[in-house]
Amino acid sequence: MVLYVLTMVIFLAGLYAAMAKKNIMKTVIGMLIMDYAVNLMLVLIGYRRDGLPPIMTSANEPASAFVDPLPQALIVTSIVIGLAMTALMAALCVRLYQRYGTFDTLHMRKLKG
Amino acid sequence: MSGMTLIVKTIARLVVGFIIVFGCCVVLHGHLSPGGGFAGGAMLACGFVLVLLAYGRTETRRIISENRAATWDSLGAFAFLSIALVGYFSGAFFRNFLPLGRQFQLISSGTVMWSNVAIGIKVGACLFAAYLVLAGFRTAEDM
Repeated sequence: MVLYVLTMVIFLAGLYAAMAKKNIMKTVIGMLIMDYAVNLMLVLIGYRRDGLPPIMTSANEPASAFVDPLPQALIVTSIVIGLAMTALMAALCVRLYQRYGTFDTLHMRKLKG
Repeated sequence: MSGMTLIVKTIARLVVGFIIVFGCCVVLHGHLSPGGGFAGGAMLACGFVLVLLAYGRTETRRIISENRAATWDSLGAFAFLSIALVGYFSGAFFRNFLPLGRQFQLISSGTVMWSNVAIGIKVGACLFAAYLVLAGFRTAEDM
């Protein structure tokens, strides 16, 4: 239970960085931290007490000795999606810098063309 | 966008072989060890991005253009869909129609390995094409 609350704290830290910072790179990092916090919580939900990593090396182990592998497989997919999202956000930041000459969002007010 | 110095180019040429071999290993062992199509495809894309960073955009476009990367992307998606449809025509959608083989061997568990290969090709080509298009900015100095 405490672990879930701590992942929520990480999520709130990312949310604060995404909302309250002027530098747009810090907004990107905040969104990344939120993504990691959600992934971590979903992997932690699949934990079983005294569980082994879900890799079968021989046919003698019962299936109940492992932690739940289904959240882990889905989170691998989610991490790659987060990678693509971060690449797009970083490219947008580069383009914004070329357009406005600054990373400060308070100075990005002119909508021209 | 020009490439980097000769030292960086030489080291990139040596290292990219290892990266692509490791990515293919992760993709092929998807049913035995952690990883599979998504993680291996991301590693393959990172190998191509290393070539792009070391040699510059014009040189890499001669080897792998955006059209070729998009073609491989579509081929990977089409292969995955055709695996699912062949399963459909022999029973249920996504049915495992290949022989299962012995446990813990590389060529085992039917269509799982070929699905991983298709997804690895698709994810690698798609991420590299997205990076190739996004890295193509021209500032006022480059024009």
